[in-house]
Amino acid sequence: MIINHPLLGPRDAAEFVVLGDACLIDRPDGMNAASEEMHDYAYVRDNPAGEHRELWYHEQGDRSWLVVTRSTLTHDVIKVELARDVARARGRSR
Amino acid sequence: MTQAMRIDGGMVDRSRTLSFSWNGRWMTGYHGDTLASALLANGERLVGRSFKYHRPRGIFASGSEEPNALVQLREGAAQEPNTRATTIELFEGLNAASQNHRGPLAFDLMAANDLLSPFLSAGFYYKTFMWPKAFWERLYEPLIRASAGLGRLPMQPDPDVYDHGFLHCDLLVIGAGPTGLSAALAAARSGLRVILADEDFVPGGRLNAETHEVDEQSGADWAAAVTAELAASDNARLMTRTTVYGAFDHGIYGALERRTDHLADAGGKPRQVLWRIYTRRALLSAGATERSMAFGNNDRPGVMLAGAVRTYVNRFGVAPGRKVAVFTNNDDGLRTAEDLGEKGIEVAAVIDARKGDFVMDTIGRSGIRAVRLGDGRRVEADCLAVSGGWSPNVHLTCHHRGRPVWDADVVGFVPGGELPSGMSVAGAANGTMTLAAAIREGHGAAVGIAGDLGAERSPGTPAKAADESFAAAPFWQVAGLRKRAWVDLQNDVTTKDVRQSHQEGFRSVEHLKRYTTLGMATDQGRTANVLGLALMADAAGKSIEETGTTIFRPPYTPVAIGAFAGRARGKHFRPHRLTPSHKWAEENGADFVEAGMWLRAQWFKRPGEKGWRDSVDREASRVRKSVGICDVTTLGKIDIQGRDAAEFLNRVYANAFLKLPVGKVRYGLMLREDGICYDDGTTARLSESHFVMTTTTANAVLVFRNLEFARQCLWPDLDVHLISTTDGWAQFAVAGPKSRALLSKVVDDLDLSNDAFPFMACAECSVFGGTPARLFRISFSGELAYEIAVPARYGDSMMRALMKAGEEFDAVPYGTEALGVLRIEKGHVAGNEITGQTTARMLGLRGMVSRSKDAIGLKLSERDAMNEDDGMRLAGFRPVDRSVILTAGAHFLNPGDSADMAHDQGWMTSVAYSPELGMSVGLGFLKRGTDRIGETIRAYSPVRDQDVIVEVCSPHHVDPDGVRQRG
Amino acid sequence: MDEISLEAAPVLGGASLELSGNRIVERDDLAIVSIATPLGGEDALTEALRNEWPLDVPEPTRSSLSGEVRAVRTAPDQMMLIFPHATPDAEAVVQERLGGTGYTTDQTDGWIVLEVAGPDTLSALERICPLDLPSFEIGGTGRTVMEHMGAMAVRTGEDAFLLLSASSSAASFLHAVETSYRYVT
Repeated sequence: MIINHPLLGPRDAAEFVVLGDACLIDRPDGMNAASEEMHDYAYVRDNPAGEHRELWYHEQGDRSWLVVTRSTLTHDVIKVELARDVARARGRSR
Repeated sequence: MTQAMRIDGGMVDRSRTLSFSWNGRWMTGYHGDTLASALLANGERLVGRSFKYHRPRGIFASGSEEPNALVQLREGAAQEPNTRATTIELFEGLNAASQNHRGPLAFDLMAANDLLSPFLSAGFYYKTFMWPKAFWERLYEPLIRASAGLGRLPMQPDPDVYDHGFLHCDLLVIGAGPTGLSAALAAARSGLRVILADEDFVPGGRLNAETHEVDEQSGADWAAAVTAELAASDNARLMTRTTVYGAFDHGIYGALERRTDHLADAGGKPRQVLWRIYTRRALLSAGATERSMAFGNNDRPGVMLAGAVRTYVNRFGVAPGRKVAVFTNNDDGLRTAEDLGEKGIEVAAVIDARKGDFVMDTIGRSGIRAVRLGDGRRVEADCLAVSGGWSPNVHLTCHHRGRPVWDADVVGFVPGGELPSGMSVAGAANGTMTLAAAIREGHGAAVGIAGDLGAERSPGTPAKAADESFAAAPFWQVAGLRKRAWVDLQNDVTTKDVRQSHQEGFRSVEHLKRYTTLGMATDQGRTANVLGLALMADAAGKSIEETGTTIFRPPYTPVAIGAFAGRARGKHFRPHRLTPSHKWAEENGADFVEAGMWLRAQWFKRPGEKGWRDSVDREASRVRKSVGICDVTTLGKIDIQGRDAAEFLNRVYANAFLKLPVGKVRYGLMLREDGICYDDGTTARLSESHFVMTTTTANAVLVFRNLEFARQCLWPDLDVHLISTTDGWAQFAVAGPKSRALLSKVVDDLDLSNDAFPFMACAECSVFGGTPARLFRISFSGELAYEIAVPARYGDSMMRALMKAGEEFDAVPYGTEALGVLRIEKGHVAGNEITGQTTARMLGLRGMVSRSKDAIGLKLSERDAMNEDDGMRLAGFRPVDRSVILTAGAHFLNPGDSADMAHDQGWMTSVAYSPELGMSVGLGFLKRGTDRIGETIRAYSPVRDQDVIVEVCSPHHVDPDGVRQRG
Repeated sequence: MDEISLEAAPVLGGASLELSGNRIVERDDLAIVSIATPLGGEDALTEALRNEWPLDVPEPTRSSLSGEVRAVRTAPDQMMLIFPHATPDAEAVVQERLGGTGYTTDQTDGWIVLEVAGPDTLSALERICPLDLPSFEIGGTGRTVMEHMGAMAVRTGEDAFLLLSASSSAASFLHAVETSYRYVT
């Protein structure tokens, strides 16, 4: 499997570690969130047949966390973004 | 006998005679021969026995599709079973033997199976070895084991070495026949980075086996000329003896290169290299494989594919027989007769199925003597060349579940469905069965790919050749068949088995495959599948389109497990990480233990010590009485810097870190987001914006990963930066009441008094007159203790210097076992307690968990179930009978309760013999443990057959008030 | 303890091997200092590097060179300076020149640096390195995993590379590199 790193180009998946659903970026603020909200964040995942946004970590590379959009049906990698950019675009800051 | 069947011509080098041994007899062949061609040259027709019926078998094909001629190659530990004689290059001294027979090859005792064949038909395993049940272990299993399997393993470690490798290209061309050569040449001329791989040792494919002309020279000469041009090209890489065995995701291909299999002595070099080839595009030009037809006793030695007959005659200069009959359903087969005639070999008959003629049966025992035709005529022949048509080699197109489709013109399955991304197919593999068309298609495919990839140089024009006649008509089995006729030679599947499968309801192609084992042998049915599918279609009264085909999986041809292992064998199974004091430890009696990739000293044996306990007890005692030194470099160290570093730490640790003063260390507990503890360690603040975190050895990588996640994904605008410094600092624990005195001799100009440098202080300093160092006053043993770190380059020197400075205190080095004893005595939790199932409350650390901030895991750690009052709590345990040695993993039971899960009260996590207390002590989780100090309960271990009474106590077996570490 | 002073020892004892015209040398004379870019401080750091050495901030997959000082990009907001320096104060030396425009960490002791060179270098490295080294320009860099060990490669010449890997597994790393040369020569 190849992940086309936005800064480094195509890299073998052996350099990466996969975490799972990119919804893990959307962590609720623990001081304000209801328990149910935090529970859903920690445990509830969609399991789509098709496009799936996933977090991959370039552990044996530049240590970037990436958001990889991948088809679970074909293994095709559709898009790769720096997770930091995605997080900022989703309103995460400090 | 000296190569009685050798004839003129061919590509063998007659100036280089090679001797080889076959079943203990020495023979000769030539350089350029395969074992198969050399055996045929020496008149050896019988080369093995079949898998199930132990039928005599001869060489059937001329390449990797060979189903019959599987041999044991080489001797001793290097012996390898199931190598195909048709792919083994002859070398001086080669030693091969036939397999799958008891007693001599010609008189196989297991041949009795052939007489039992009525009982060994499809599904006989499932029907026969059913009952009585008691027969299984004593009779059936030994019987099956004795007869199962092909060939024999040497049962010794493989003495050869294997390797892996990685290659990158724009275009991988798979197969160096006319199509592949044409494509590779055009691509190389265009400027693409090309890899051309072929399983043969001479590129050219069928060009070397036929008498076709290309560009007004012989096909073989043209192939040699193209090969030479590719070899001279900077951007092409020609890989012979290389099988592309699998297509994987995103243009990655697996290939096996046989580097030294053709040499008598590998000279210590890898026998085979398993390549991972990264491609932008791939072109499959793997050609086609000829198949047989079903007629009586069509498996006898001497029955050979017509294309193979031409290969032996034209490429190797070997006559497969003196009188050859040809049985064909296509024009390709007719050329066999022409080629034989050219070489002066007698053609006994040409039997063309399209004219209504056919072979009914063969006659002969260990090799055919004659064939019986459909009209009853007997034709004397010692070789029967058969062509039932050609099946495109679509295997790699199936590796992502592409399903080939039937092409009536080709009379074969051609690539269909979705191909692996980036793959295209050309030539015979694509159903383009004639020479000129294949060359043009290969060229055209390469030109298209070069255009797609932006290559700018001229690809040249395709080579000129003629299209030979390829008129084929489907013909599968002869009418009125009364004798057994084979479909799959390697797995001994006959037409009767296919019919029976249909009759018994196993009618889909997938069921047919599994019920009869058709196509499930090591050749994946390359010469058999299409015939089997056609017969199933016939039995079902359907067309082949409707019946469809099974598909293929990697590997295309078998790959040795050793090649997959590569170098990862023995002590090189994985790398080792060594601590800076490793060499010193080796010199001082250390016994090492693997902790992940690290090798750590677990104890240091001294003269007179009889077992490990003697060493460990001594080391732990000396720490408590004086001072000990332990290399703790393996603990993960993470350098954390940034304006927001304190805020960041406050969010990743469960306890407060925001106000940690500069010059102080704090113990920290990390939770997963679900509230469960997963790591602990200490973090020191070196300046306002600079911290050094330590993690457990085991979790160093995970913690770093999680911190990066928090930094990049959760709080991307915090100014915080991470870098691992685990290997950069040699760190030593110096523990025991004399540790201050010892370090006072070591550290330059730093007041180590309790007031100036109290418990949990840290400082950047220097040692031994100027070497930079970091000093932390932390304790994992409960004693007055420090950890001191120096740049790793000084680690060996530092260990020696510490020991020298410690001589006056009788300082001891201590290993991981004594470290464990000390921490269990003190009641410090470690991996045995932080198991991924335990909460801060269970560990007795609830008080640390902040309620006034947001940090990873805090919210969900507040859930009711994690905070139940009757929940498990960490406690200490001591045997009432002080002589008893406790067992980790024992479960606690109240006295009188039965030993079942309903009465489970908890479990013992860690035990150690405490030299300080003179007894075995333990830590564990016990229901309401903190409230039950002083109670006695049972520690029950059915695994170790132990049932003892233990007293519940504080987990802090030693110095419960923490006076010593603060002193 | 005036009579004791510590001695620095190269991880591999200053290994230097000659294999059929190829060389593997432990470069224990090189210091390594990582520089992290403070959030929002890109311009200040860029200017400091330009003024002091002068060095450009290397692009990803690239390194920049000023005399014997090489900057290698290691992460989106991190680079490493690699330069000859004998004493254990490389971090302080770099930090002084940066004047607080970057966060510095001494990495000299965390890494082993092997200089490999010779005609069989690409053939040897293709046995262990998944990166497309033949396509690297001079100065090109990449970080990957070789034989289960994290490693970085910097192309320093047509057939010459610096290979960096963790110092604790240096012996295994040298073994992997040496074995590769032995297998292809």
